[in-house]
Amino acid sequence: MLKLHKLKIIKQELVAPGYQRLTLAGGIAALAGQFVQVRVSETCDPFLRRPISVHHCTEDRLVLLYRTVGRGTALLAAKKAGETLDLLGPLGSSFPLTDRPSAVVVAGGIGAAPLYCLLQALKQAGKQVSFFYGARNQAELLLRDEYRALVANYSEATDDGSAGTRAVVTQLATPAFASLDATVYACGPSPMLREVARLADYYGRSCFVSLEAQLACGVGACLGCVVPVKGQEQYRRVCVDGPVFAAGEVFFC
Amino acid sequence: MLSPDLTVKIAGVVLANPVMPASGCFGYGEEYAPFFDLRRLGAIVVKGTTAEPCAGNPPPRLAETPGGMLNAIGLQNPGAVAAREKISALWQSSVPVIVNVSGHSAAQYRDVIELLDDLAAVAAYEINISCPNVKAGGMAFGTDPAVVAGLVRELRGATKKPLIIKLSPNVTDITAIARAAEEGGADALSLINTLLGMAIDIERRRPVLANLTGGLSGPAIKPVALRMVWQVTSAVEIPVIGMGGISGARDALEFLMAGASAVAIGAANFTNPLVCPETVEGISDYLAEHGFASVKEIVGLAKKEWS
Repeated sequence: MLKLHKLKIIKQELVAPGYQRLTLAGGIAALAGQFVQVRVSETCDPFLRRPISVHHCTEDRLVLLYRTVGRGTALLAAKKAGETLDLLGPLGSSFPLTDRPSAVVVAGGIGAAPLYCLLQALKQAGKQVSFFYGARNQAELLLRDEYRALVANYSEATDDGSAGTRAVVTQLATPAFASLDATVYACGPSPMLREVARLADYYGRSCFVSLEAQLACGVGACLGCVVPVKGQEQYRRVCVDGPVFAAGEVFFC
Repeated sequence: MLSPDLTVKIAGVVLANPVMPASGCFGYGEEYAPFFDLRRLGAIVVKGTTAEPCAGNPPPRLAETPGGMLNAIGLQNPGAVAAREKISALWQSSVPVIVNVSGHSAAQYRDVIELLDDLAAVAAYEINISCPNVKAGGMAFGTDPAVVAGLVRELRGATKKPLIIKLSPNVTDITAIARAAEEGGADALSLINTLLGMAIDIERRRPVLANLTGGLSGPAIKPVALRMVWQVTSAVEIPVIGMGGISGARDALEFLMAGASAVAIGAANFTNPLVCPETVEGISDYLAEHGFASVKEIVGLAKKEWS
Protein backbone atom coordinates (compact mmCIF):
# COMPACT_ATOMS: atom_id res chain seq x y z
CA MET A 1 0.00 0.00 0.00
CA LEU A 2 1.39 3.33 -1.12
CA LYS A 3 1.94 5.65 1.78
CA LEU A 4 4.12 8.11 3.62
CA HIS A 5 6.66 6.47 5.91
CA LYS A 6 8.98 7.79 8.56
CA LEU A 7 11.68 5.15 8.90
CA LYS A 8 14.64 5.09 11.23
CA ILE A 9 18.09 4.83 9.70
CA ILE A 10 19.96 1.76 10.95
CA LYS A 11 23.07 2.04 8.83
CA GLN A 12 24.61 4.44 6.31
CA GLU A 13 27.62 2.84 4.58
CA LEU A 14 30.03 4.10 1.96
CA VAL A 15 30.32 1.00 -0.26
CA ALA A 16 32.63 2.67 -2.82
CA PRO A 17 33.74 6.26 -3.35
CA GLY A 18 30.55 8.17 -4.20
CA TYR A 19 28.21 5.25 -3.51
CA GLN A 20 26.14 4.71 -0.37
CA ARG A 21 24.06 1.89 1.07
CA LEU A 22 21.33 3.04 3.42
CA THR A 23 19.55 0.53 5.65
CA LEU A 24 16.22 1.56 7.20
CA ALA A 25 14.08 -0.08 9.86
CA GLY A 26 10.69 -1.16 8.60
CA GLY A 27 9.40 -2.99 5.56
CA ILE A 28 7.32 -1.25 2.91
CA ALA A 29 6.39 -4.35 0.89
CA ALA A 30 8.08 -3.09 -2.27
CA LEU A 31 8.30 -5.26 -5.39
CA ALA A 32 11.44 -5.58 -7.52
CA GLY A 33 11.80 -2.47 -9.66
CA GLN A 34 9.76 -0.12 -7.49
CA PHE A 35 11.15 3.07 -5.94
CA VAL A 36 10.64 5.49 -3.09
CA GLN A 37 10.55 9.30 -3.04
CA VAL A 38 12.86 10.49 -0.30
CA ARG A 39 12.65 13.87 1.36
CA VAL A 40 16.27 14.93 1.74
CA SER A 41 15.72 18.32 3.40
CA GLU A 42 13.38 19.74 6.01
CA THR A 43 13.53 23.09 4.23
CA CYS A 44 12.28 23.95 0.74
CA ASP A 45 15.76 23.66 -0.81
CA PRO A 46 16.17 21.25 -2.48
CA PHE A 47 12.45 21.51 -3.09
CA LEU A 48 11.63 18.12 -4.60
CA ARG A 49 11.90 14.62 -3.18
CA ARG A 50 14.58 12.36 -4.62
CA PRO A 51 13.52 9.13 -6.36
CA ILE A 52 15.67 6.19 -5.21
CA SER A 53 15.12 2.61 -6.34
CA VAL A 54 14.54 -0.11 -3.78
CA HIS A 55 17.68 -2.24 -3.59
CA HIS A 56 16.47 -4.78 -1.09
CA CYS A 57 13.33 -5.08 0.98
CA THR A 58 12.32 -7.51 3.72
CA GLU A 59 9.53 -7.57 6.27
CA ASP A 60 11.45 -5.27 8.57
CA ARG A 61 14.18 -3.71 6.45
CA LEU A 62 14.40 -1.37 3.48
CA VAL A 63 17.79 -0.96 1.79
CA LEU A 64 18.63 1.76 -0.73
CA LEU A 65 21.81 1.74 -2.82
CA TYR A 66 22.51 5.08 -4.46
CA ARG A 67 25.13 7.28 -6.08
CA THR A 68 25.90 10.69 -4.65
CA VAL A 69 25.38 12.81 -7.75
CA GLY A 70 24.32 16.23 -6.51
CA ARG A 71 23.23 18.29 -3.56
CA GLY A 72 20.13 16.22 -2.83
CA THR A 73 21.89 12.88 -2.63
CA ALA A 74 24.78 14.52 -0.73
CA LEU A 75 22.27 15.61 1.93
CA LEU A 76 20.92 12.07 2.00
CA ALA A 77 24.44 10.66 2.35
CA ALA A 78 25.05 12.97 5.33
CA LYS A 79 22.18 11.45 7.29
CA LYS A 80 23.31 9.20 10.11
CA ALA A 81 22.11 6.09 11.93
CA GLY A 82 19.39 7.01 14.40
CA GLU A 83 17.93 9.78 12.26
CA THR A 84 14.50 9.40 10.67
CA LEU A 85 13.87 9.48 6.93
CA ASP A 86 10.61 10.70 5.40
CA LEU A 87 9.77 8.67 2.32
CA LEU A 88 6.87 7.96 0.03
CA GLY A 89 6.35 4.53 -1.45
CA PRO A 90 6.52 1.94 -2.76
CA LEU A 91 5.95 3.66 -6.11
CA GLY A 92 5.79 2.61 -9.75
CA SER A 93 5.64 -0.61 -11.70
CA SER A 94 7.73 -3.71 -11.02
CA PHE A 95 9.66 -6.27 -13.08
CA PRO A 96 7.23 -9.03 -14.11
CA LEU A 97 8.26 -12.69 -13.92
CA THR A 98 7.45 -14.72 -17.02
CA ASP A 99 7.10 -18.43 -17.83
CA ARG A 100 10.58 -18.54 -19.49
CA PRO A 101 12.96 -20.87 -17.67
CA SER A 102 15.91 -18.46 -17.88
CA ALA A 103 16.60 -14.81 -17.33
CA VAL A 104 19.30 -12.54 -18.71
CA VAL A 105 19.82 -9.53 -16.46
CA VAL A 106 21.97 -6.62 -17.61
CA ALA A 107 23.15 -3.90 -15.22
CA GLY A 108 25.01 -0.70 -16.07
CA GLY A 109 26.62 1.18 -13.19
CA ILE A 110 24.24 2.19 -10.41
CA GLY A 111 21.47 0.63 -12.54
CA ALA A 112 22.42 -2.52 -10.65
CA ALA A 113 20.67 -1.16 -7.55
CA PRO A 114 17.05 -2.21 -8.28
CA LEU A 115 18.18 -5.43 -9.99
CA TYR A 116 19.28 -6.93 -6.67
CA CYS A 117 15.61 -7.29 -5.70
CA LEU A 118 14.90 -8.80 -9.10
CA LEU A 119 17.73 -11.35 -8.84
CA GLN A 120 16.33 -12.46 -5.49
CA ALA A 121 12.85 -12.86 -6.96
CA LEU A 122 14.20 -14.78 -9.97
CA LYS A 123 16.20 -17.08 -7.71
CA GLN A 124 13.18 -17.76 -5.55
CA ALA A 125 11.17 -18.56 -8.67
CA GLY A 126 13.81 -21.12 -9.66
CA LYS A 127 14.97 -19.34 -12.82
CA GLN A 128 18.36 -19.97 -14.40
CA VAL A 129 19.86 -16.48 -14.18
CA SER A 130 22.76 -14.98 -16.14
CA PHE A 131 23.79 -11.62 -14.75
CA PHE A 132 25.95 -9.19 -16.74
CA TYR A 133 27.34 -6.38 -14.66
CA GLY A 134 28.98 -3.43 -16.41
CA ALA A 135 30.68 -0.36 -14.94
CA ARG A 136 33.37 2.18 -15.76
CA ASN A 137 35.89 0.43 -13.50
CA GLN A 138 36.31 -2.12 -10.73
CA ALA A 139 35.52 0.37 -7.94
CA GLU A 140 32.09 1.04 -9.46
CA LEU A 141 31.14 -2.66 -9.55
CA LEU A 142 29.33 -2.45 -6.22
CA LEU A 143 28.69 -5.31 -3.80
CA ARG A 144 30.10 -7.85 -6.29
CA ASP A 145 30.05 -10.81 -3.93
CA GLU A 146 26.44 -10.21 -2.98
CA TYR A 147 25.33 -10.12 -6.60
CA ARG A 148 27.49 -13.11 -7.51
CA ALA A 149 25.92 -15.19 -4.73
CA LEU A 150 22.44 -14.80 -6.23
CA VAL A 151 23.04 -16.07 -9.76
CA ALA A 152 24.17 -19.13 -11.70
CA ASN A 153 26.24 -17.19 -14.23
CA TYR A 154 27.98 -13.98 -13.27
CA SER A 155 30.01 -11.83 -15.69
CA GLU A 156 31.64 -8.44 -15.37
CA ALA A 157 32.59 -5.84 -17.96
CA THR A 158 34.48 -2.62 -17.34
CA ASP A 159 35.39 0.24 -19.64
CA ASP A 160 39.02 0.19 -18.47
CA GLY A 161 39.49 -3.56 -18.01
CA SER A 162 40.20 -3.19 -14.27
CA ALA A 163 37.78 -6.06 -13.62
CA GLY A 164 36.16 -8.69 -15.81
CA THR A 165 36.26 -8.20 -19.56
CA ARG A 166 37.24 -4.89 -21.11
CA ALA A 167 34.07 -4.38 -23.12
CA VAL A 168 30.68 -2.78 -23.03
CA VAL A 169 28.37 -5.01 -21.06
CA THR A 170 25.97 -5.60 -23.96
CA GLN A 171 28.79 -7.13 -26.05
CA LEU A 172 29.47 -9.53 -23.23
CA ALA A 173 25.80 -10.44 -22.94
CA THR A 174 25.07 -10.96 -26.65
CA PRO A 175 25.77 -14.74 -26.73
CA ALA A 176 23.29 -15.24 -23.86
CA PHE A 177 20.59 -13.38 -25.78
CA ALA A 178 21.22 -15.72 -28.70
CA SER A 179 21.40 -19.03 -26.86
CA LEU A 180 19.03 -18.89 -23.89
CA ASP A 181 15.25 -19.17 -23.84
CA ALA A 182 15.24 -16.19 -21.56
CA THR A 183 13.39 -13.08 -20.53
CA VAL A 184 15.67 -10.04 -20.54
CA TYR A 185 15.78 -7.42 -17.79
CA ALA A 186 17.94 -4.31 -17.71
CA CYS A 187 18.64 -1.11 -15.84
CA GLY A 188 21.39 1.38 -16.67
CA PRO A 189 22.25 4.32 -18.91
CA SER A 190 19.99 4.99 -21.90
CA PRO A 191 22.53 3.95 -24.60
CA MET A 192 22.90 0.59 -22.84
CA LEU A 193 19.13 0.16 -22.57
CA ARG A 194 18.67 0.97 -26.26
CA GLU A 195 21.24 -1.70 -27.18
CA VAL A 196 19.68 -4.25 -24.82
CA ALA A 197 16.28 -3.57 -26.34
CA ARG A 198 17.68 -3.89 -29.86
CA LEU A 199 19.36 -7.23 -29.09
CA ALA A 200 16.28 -8.60 -27.34
CA ASP A 201 14.14 -7.63 -30.27
CA TYR A 202 16.60 -9.20 -32.74
CA TYR A 203 16.69 -12.51 -30.86
CA GLY A 204 12.97 -12.45 -30.11
CA ARG A 205 13.27 -12.23 -26.32
CA SER A 206 10.73 -10.34 -24.23
CA CYS A 207 12.52 -7.53 -22.48
CA PHE A 208 11.80 -5.22 -19.55
CA VAL A 209 13.79 -2.10 -18.78
CA SER A 210 13.78 0.31 -15.87
CA LEU A 211 13.99 3.98 -16.81
CA GLU A 212 15.14 7.05 -14.95
CA ALA A 213 13.65 10.54 -15.21
CA GLN A 214 13.48 13.81 -13.38
CA LEU A 215 10.40 13.47 -11.17
CA ALA A 216 8.33 15.94 -9.22
CA CYS A 217 5.34 14.27 -7.55
CA GLY A 218 6.21 10.59 -8.09
CA VAL A 219 2.54 9.60 -7.94
CA GLY A 220 1.31 10.41 -11.45
CA ALA A 221 -0.27 13.80 -10.85
CA CYS A 222 2.16 16.35 -12.28
CA LEU A 223 2.88 14.70 -15.67
CA GLY A 224 6.45 15.95 -15.51
CA CYS A 225 8.36 12.68 -16.01
CA VAL A 226 6.92 11.37 -19.26
CA VAL A 227 8.52 9.31 -22.02
CA PRO A 228 7.14 9.08 -25.57
CA VAL A 229 5.17 5.97 -26.56
CA LYS A 230 6.33 4.21 -29.72
CA GLY A 231 4.04 4.64 -32.68
CA GLN A 232 1.63 7.06 -31.01
CA GLU A 233 1.54 10.73 -30.21
CA GLN A 234 1.28 10.00 -26.52
CA TYR A 235 3.35 9.92 -23.40
CA ARG A 236 3.63 7.56 -20.43
CA ARG A 237 4.54 8.62 -16.91
CA VAL A 238 7.79 7.08 -15.68
CA CYS A 239 6.59 7.32 -12.06
CA VAL A 240 3.39 5.27 -12.29
CA ASP A 241 3.28 3.64 -15.75
CA GLY A 242 7.00 2.85 -15.19
CA PRO A 243 9.76 2.92 -14.15
CA VAL A 244 9.68 -0.63 -15.56
CA PHE A 245 8.41 -0.75 -19.15
CA ALA A 246 8.27 -3.43 -21.78
CA ALA A 247 11.19 -2.42 -23.99
CA GLY A 248 9.07 -2.08 -27.12
CA GLU A 249 6.57 0.22 -25.49
CA VAL A 250 8.44 3.50 -25.12
CA PHE A 251 11.41 5.48 -26.41
CA PHE A 252 14.33 5.95 -24.05
CA CYS A 253 15.25 9.60 -23.76
CA MET B 1 -14.82 26.01 22.86
CA LEU B 2 -16.50 25.72 19.47
CA SER B 3 -14.20 24.96 16.58
CA PRO B 4 -13.90 27.95 14.21
CA ASP B 5 -16.18 28.26 11.21
CA LEU B 6 -14.03 27.51 8.16
CA THR B 7 -16.71 27.90 5.50
CA VAL B 8 -16.25 30.44 2.75
CA LYS B 9 -18.36 31.37 -0.26
CA ILE B 10 -16.68 31.87 -3.63
CA ALA B 11 -18.75 32.86 -6.64
CA GLY B 12 -21.88 31.55 -4.94
CA VAL B 13 -20.31 28.17 -4.13
CA VAL B 14 -20.06 27.31 -0.44
CA LEU B 15 -16.78 25.60 0.50
CA ALA B 16 -16.40 23.71 3.78
CA ASN B 17 -12.97 25.31 4.16
CA PRO B 18 -10.84 27.74 2.16
CA VAL B 19 -8.20 25.24 0.96
CA MET B 20 -8.05 23.55 -2.45
CA PRO B 21 -5.32 21.97 -4.56
CA ALA B 22 -4.25 24.12 -7.53
CA SER B 23 -4.99 22.98 -11.06
CA GLY B 24 -2.32 20.80 -12.64
CA CYS B 25 -0.91 19.69 -9.29
CA PHE B 26 -3.61 17.21 -8.32
CA GLY B 27 -4.68 15.53 -11.58
CA TYR B 28 -8.36 14.62 -11.27
CA GLY B 29 -7.89 13.72 -7.62
CA GLU B 30 -7.28 9.99 -8.11
CA GLU B 31 -3.53 10.13 -7.42
CA TYR B 32 -3.96 11.68 -3.98
CA ALA B 33 -7.06 9.75 -2.86
CA PRO B 34 -4.84 6.98 -1.35
CA PHE B 35 -3.24 9.51 1.01
CA PHE B 36 -6.24 11.20 2.61
CA ASP B 37 -10.00 11.56 2.48
CA LEU B 38 -10.62 14.11 -0.28
CA ARG B 39 -13.65 15.34 1.64
CA ARG B 40 -11.20 17.24 3.82
CA LEU B 41 -10.66 19.67 0.93
CA GLY B 42 -12.68 22.86 0.44
CA ALA B 43 -12.81 22.20 -3.29
CA ILE B 44 -10.90 20.26 -5.93
CA VAL B 45 -9.53 22.10 -8.94
CA VAL B 46 -8.84 19.57 -11.66
CA LYS B 47 -6.17 19.53 -14.35
CA GLY B 48 -6.42 22.04 -17.18
CA THR B 49 -8.91 20.44 -19.58
CA THR B 50 -9.08 21.13 -23.31
CA ALA B 51 -11.86 20.25 -25.74
CA GLU B 52 -9.74 17.65 -27.59
CA PRO B 53 -7.22 15.30 -25.94
CA CYS B 54 -3.82 16.94 -25.66
CA ALA B 55 -0.52 15.00 -25.60
CA GLY B 56 1.45 17.86 -24.06
CA ASN B 57 5.03 18.96 -24.62
CA PRO B 58 7.95 16.60 -25.28
CA PRO B 59 10.28 15.89 -22.33
CA PRO B 60 12.23 17.14 -20.48
CA ARG B 61 9.34 18.97 -18.87
CA LEU B 62 10.79 19.67 -15.43
CA ALA B 63 13.71 21.51 -13.89
CA GLU B 64 14.27 21.93 -10.17
CA THR B 65 15.21 25.45 -9.08
CA PRO B 66 16.14 26.97 -5.71
CA GLY B 67 12.99 26.74 -3.60
CA GLY B 68 10.87 25.66 -6.50
CA MET B 69 10.62 24.14 -9.95
CA LEU B 70 10.01 24.93 -13.58
CA ASN B 71 7.44 22.96 -15.54
CA ALA B 72 6.44 22.89 -19.17
CA ILE B 73 3.81 20.15 -19.26
CA GLY B 74 1.90 21.77 -22.09
CA LEU B 75 -1.63 20.98 -20.91
CA GLN B 76 -1.43 17.20 -21.30
CA ASN B 77 -4.98 16.01 -20.57
CA PRO B 78 -7.45 13.41 -21.85
CA GLY B 79 -9.86 16.00 -23.33
CA ALA B 80 -13.25 17.14 -22.09
CA VAL B 81 -15.18 14.01 -23.11
CA ALA B 82 -12.86 11.63 -21.23
CA ALA B 83 -12.64 14.11 -18.35
CA ARG B 84 -16.41 13.89 -17.79
CA GLU B 85 -16.03 10.46 -16.23
CA LYS B 86 -13.18 11.52 -13.99
CA ILE B 87 -15.05 14.62 -12.86
CA SER B 88 -18.19 12.60 -12.15
CA ALA B 89 -16.14 10.11 -10.10
CA LEU B 90 -14.79 13.00 -8.04
CA TRP B 91 -18.31 14.23 -7.45
CA GLN B 92 -18.82 11.11 -5.31
CA SER B 93 -16.57 12.79 -2.75
CA SER B 94 -19.23 15.55 -2.43
CA VAL B 95 -16.48 18.20 -2.56
CA PRO B 96 -17.19 20.99 -5.07
CA VAL B 97 -15.27 20.36 -8.29
CA ILE B 98 -13.84 23.34 -10.14
CA VAL B 99 -12.85 22.54 -13.72
CA ASN B 100 -9.87 24.37 -15.15
CA VAL B 101 -10.76 25.22 -18.75
CA SER B 102 -7.92 25.64 -21.24
CA GLY B 103 -7.68 26.28 -24.93
CA HIS B 104 -5.93 28.01 -27.78
CA SER B 105 -8.88 30.10 -28.96
CA ALA B 106 -12.10 31.55 -27.57
CA ALA B 107 -14.02 28.87 -29.47
CA GLN B 108 -12.02 26.10 -27.78
CA TYR B 109 -12.80 27.48 -24.30
CA ARG B 110 -16.49 27.55 -25.28
CA ASP B 111 -16.27 23.96 -26.54
CA VAL B 112 -14.96 22.71 -23.19
CA ILE B 113 -17.79 24.44 -21.35
CA GLU B 114 -20.38 23.05 -23.77
CA LEU B 115 -19.04 19.51 -23.34
CA LEU B 116 -19.17 19.71 -19.53
CA ASP B 117 -21.96 22.14 -18.68
CA ASP B 118 -24.69 19.53 -18.10
CA LEU B 119 -22.61 17.80 -15.39
CA ALA B 120 -24.01 18.53 -11.94
CA ALA B 121 -20.55 17.65 -10.66
CA VAL B 122 -19.08 20.85 -12.09
CA ALA B 123 -19.51 23.55 -9.43
CA ALA B 124 -17.59 26.24 -11.30
CA TYR B 125 -15.09 26.84 -14.10
CA GLU B 126 -11.64 28.24 -13.67
CA ILE B 127 -10.74 29.85 -16.99
CA ASN B 128 -7.04 29.42 -17.63
CA ILE B 129 -5.99 32.52 -19.53
CA SER B 130 -2.52 32.29 -18.09
CA CYS B 131 -0.78 29.06 -19.05
CA PRO B 132 2.75 30.00 -20.09
CA ASN B 133 3.47 26.67 -21.79
CA VAL B 134 1.25 26.64 -24.85
CA LYS B 135 2.17 28.40 -28.04
CA ALA B 136 -1.12 30.14 -28.82
CA GLY B 137 -3.89 30.92 -26.35
CA GLY B 138 -3.24 30.48 -22.66
CA MET B 139 -1.12 33.34 -21.48
CA ALA B 140 -1.59 35.20 -24.76
CA PHE B 141 -5.21 35.71 -23.69
CA GLY B 142 -4.31 36.89 -20.25
CA THR B 143 -2.04 39.80 -20.98
CA ASP B 144 -4.33 42.26 -22.79
CA PRO B 145 -7.21 43.80 -20.75
CA ALA B 146 -9.48 44.25 -23.77
CA VAL B 147 -9.01 40.63 -24.87
CA VAL B 148 -9.65 39.40 -21.32
CA ALA B 149 -12.87 41.40 -20.99
CA GLY B 150 -14.06 40.17 -24.38
CA LEU B 151 -13.30 36.51 -23.65
CA VAL B 152 -14.98 36.59 -20.25
CA ARG B 153 -18.05 38.29 -21.74
CA GLU B 154 -18.27 35.62 -24.43
CA LEU B 155 -17.92 32.75 -21.94
CA ARG B 156 -20.39 34.46 -19.59
CA GLY B 157 -22.96 33.88 -22.32
CA ALA B 158 -22.03 30.19 -22.56
CA THR B 159 -22.89 29.05 -19.03
CA LYS B 160 -24.83 29.92 -15.92
CA LYS B 161 -22.14 28.37 -13.74
CA PRO B 162 -19.66 30.61 -11.93
CA LEU B 163 -16.58 31.73 -13.85
CA ILE B 164 -13.29 32.08 -12.00
CA ILE B 165 -10.64 33.76 -14.15
CA LYS B 166 -7.08 32.58 -13.50
CA LEU B 167 -4.61 35.42 -13.97
CA SER B 168 -1.04 35.44 -15.20
CA PRO B 169 1.65 37.22 -13.20
CA ASN B 170 3.58 37.81 -16.42
CA VAL B 171 2.10 41.27 -16.98
CA THR B 172 3.10 44.82 -16.10
CA ASP B 173 -0.08 45.63 -14.18
CA ILE B 174 -2.12 42.68 -12.96
CA THR B 175 -4.82 44.97 -11.54
CA ALA B 176 -5.70 46.16 -15.05
CA ILE B 177 -6.27 42.55 -16.13
CA ALA B 178 -8.21 41.84 -12.94
CA ARG B 179 -10.54 44.80 -13.49
CA ALA B 180 -11.06 43.77 -17.12
CA ALA B 181 -12.09 40.27 -16.01
CA GLU B 182 -14.48 41.75 -13.45
CA GLU B 183 -16.02 44.06 -16.05
CA GLY B 184 -16.45 41.12 -18.41
CA GLY B 185 -18.58 39.36 -15.80
CA ALA B 186 -16.20 37.16 -13.83
CA ASP B 187 -17.57 35.83 -10.53
CA ALA B 188 -14.13 35.43 -8.96
CA LEU B 189 -10.44 35.52 -9.77
CA SER B 190 -7.61 33.12 -9.01
CA LEU B 191 -3.97 34.13 -8.96
CA ILE B 192 -1.18 33.66 -9.65
CA ASN B 193 -0.36 31.16 -12.36
CA THR B 194 3.34 30.36 -12.76
CA LEU B 195 6.04 32.89 -13.58
CA LEU B 196 7.77 32.45 -16.91
CA GLY B 197 11.34 31.22 -16.50
CA MET B 198 14.08 29.00 -17.91
CA ALA B 199 17.16 26.98 -16.98
CA ILE B 200 20.32 26.00 -18.86
CA ASP B 201 22.29 22.77 -18.46
CA ILE B 202 25.92 23.95 -18.55
CA GLU B 203 27.29 20.44 -19.21
CA ARG B 204 25.08 19.89 -22.25
CA ARG B 205 25.27 23.64 -23.00
CA ARG B 206 21.59 23.88 -23.87
CA PRO B 207 18.26 24.77 -22.23
CA VAL B 208 16.99 22.10 -19.81
CA LEU B 209 13.38 22.24 -20.93
CA ALA B 210 12.46 20.95 -24.39
CA ASN B 211 9.94 23.81 -24.48
CA LEU B 212 12.78 26.28 -23.77
CA THR B 213 10.74 28.17 -21.16
CA GLY B 214 8.54 26.92 -18.34
CA GLY B 215 6.43 28.11 -15.44
CA LEU B 216 8.14 28.72 -12.11
CA SER B 217 6.28 27.58 -9.00
CA GLY B 218 7.05 26.70 -5.40
CA PRO B 219 8.02 28.67 -2.28
CA ALA B 220 10.35 30.91 -4.33
CA ILE B 221 7.39 32.71 -5.92
CA LYS B 222 5.34 33.29 -2.76
CA PRO B 223 6.31 36.94 -2.15
CA VAL B 224 5.40 37.85 -5.74
CA ALA B 225 2.07 36.06 -5.48
CA LEU B 226 1.25 37.63 -2.14
CA ARG B 227 1.99 41.13 -3.45
CA MET B 228 -0.28 40.55 -6.45
CA VAL B 229 -3.12 39.18 -4.29
CA TRP B 230 -2.86 42.28 -2.11
CA GLN B 231 -2.99 44.56 -5.16
CA VAL B 232 -5.83 42.73 -6.92
CA THR B 233 -8.04 42.45 -3.84
CA SER B 234 -7.70 46.23 -3.50
CA ALA B 235 -8.68 46.75 -7.12
CA VAL B 236 -11.78 44.53 -7.52
CA GLU B 237 -14.92 43.66 -5.55
CA ILE B 238 -15.17 39.99 -6.58
CA PRO B 239 -13.50 37.34 -4.38
CA VAL B 240 -9.97 36.12 -5.04
CA ILE B 241 -8.48 32.65 -4.64
CA GLY B 242 -4.83 33.21 -3.73
CA MET B 243 -2.04 30.88 -4.73
CA GLY B 244 1.67 30.79 -5.49
CA GLY B 245 4.19 29.00 -3.32
CA ILE B 246 1.87 28.12 -0.44
CA SER B 247 3.45 25.26 1.55
CA GLY B 248 1.41 25.22 4.72
CA ALA B 249 -0.97 27.04 7.05
CA ARG B 250 1.36 29.94 7.80
CA ASP B 251 1.64 30.78 4.09
CA ALA B 252 -2.11 30.31 3.61
CA LEU B 253 -2.85 32.68 6.49
CA GLU B 254 -0.68 35.34 4.85
CA PHE B 255 -2.73 35.10 1.64
CA LEU B 256 -6.02 35.26 3.58
CA MET B 257 -4.83 38.30 5.52
CA ALA B 258 -3.71 39.90 2.24
CA GLY B 259 -7.31 39.69 1.04
CA ALA B 260 -7.77 36.25 -0.55
CA SER B 261 -11.08 34.59 0.33
CA ALA B 262 -9.61 31.13 -0.24
CA VAL B 263 -6.27 29.61 -1.18
CA ALA B 264 -4.97 26.97 -3.56
CA ILE B 265 -1.88 24.84 -3.02
CA GLY B 266 0.16 23.69 -5.98
CA ALA B 267 3.71 22.40 -6.11
CA ALA B 268 3.83 21.74 -2.34
CA ASN B 269 1.60 18.69 -2.93
CA PHE B 270 4.60 17.10 -4.66
CA THR B 271 6.78 17.42 -1.58
CA ASN B 272 4.07 16.69 0.95
CA PRO B 273 0.97 14.83 -0.28
CA LEU B 274 -0.79 15.78 2.96
CA VAL B 275 -0.14 19.52 2.66
CA CYS B 276 -3.78 20.39 1.87
CA PRO B 277 -5.45 18.72 4.87
CA GLU B 278 -2.59 19.83 7.12
CA THR B 279 -3.15 23.42 5.98
CA VAL B 280 -6.87 23.18 6.80
CA GLU B 281 -6.00 22.00 10.30
CA GLY B 282 -3.34 24.65 10.74
CA ILE B 283 -5.73 27.44 9.78
CA SER B 284 -8.33 26.08 12.18
CA ASP B 285 -5.78 25.90 15.01
CA TYR B 286 -4.61 29.45 14.37
CA LEU B 287 -8.16 30.79 14.43
CA ALA B 288 -8.94 28.93 17.64
CA GLU B 289 -5.74 30.04 19.35
CA HIS B 290 -6.29 33.68 18.43
CA GLY B 291 -9.99 33.79 19.27
CA PHE B 292 -11.47 34.11 15.79
CA ALA B 293 -14.90 32.53 15.32
CA SER B 294 -14.68 32.39 11.54
CA VAL B 295 -12.02 32.35 8.85
CA LYS B 296 -13.92 35.20 7.17
CA GLU B 297 -12.76 37.46 10.00
CA ILE B 298 -9.16 37.30 8.87
CA VAL B 299 -9.74 37.87 5.13
CA GLY B 300 -7.99 41.15 4.34
CA LEU B 301 -7.14 41.70 8.00
CA ALA B 302 -3.60 42.87 7.23
CA LYS B 303 -5.05 45.61 5.06
CA LYS B 304 -7.17 46.90 7.92
CA GLU B 305 -4.13 46.91 10.16
CA TRP B 306 -2.14 48.72 7.49
CA SER B 307 -4.59 51.52 6.70
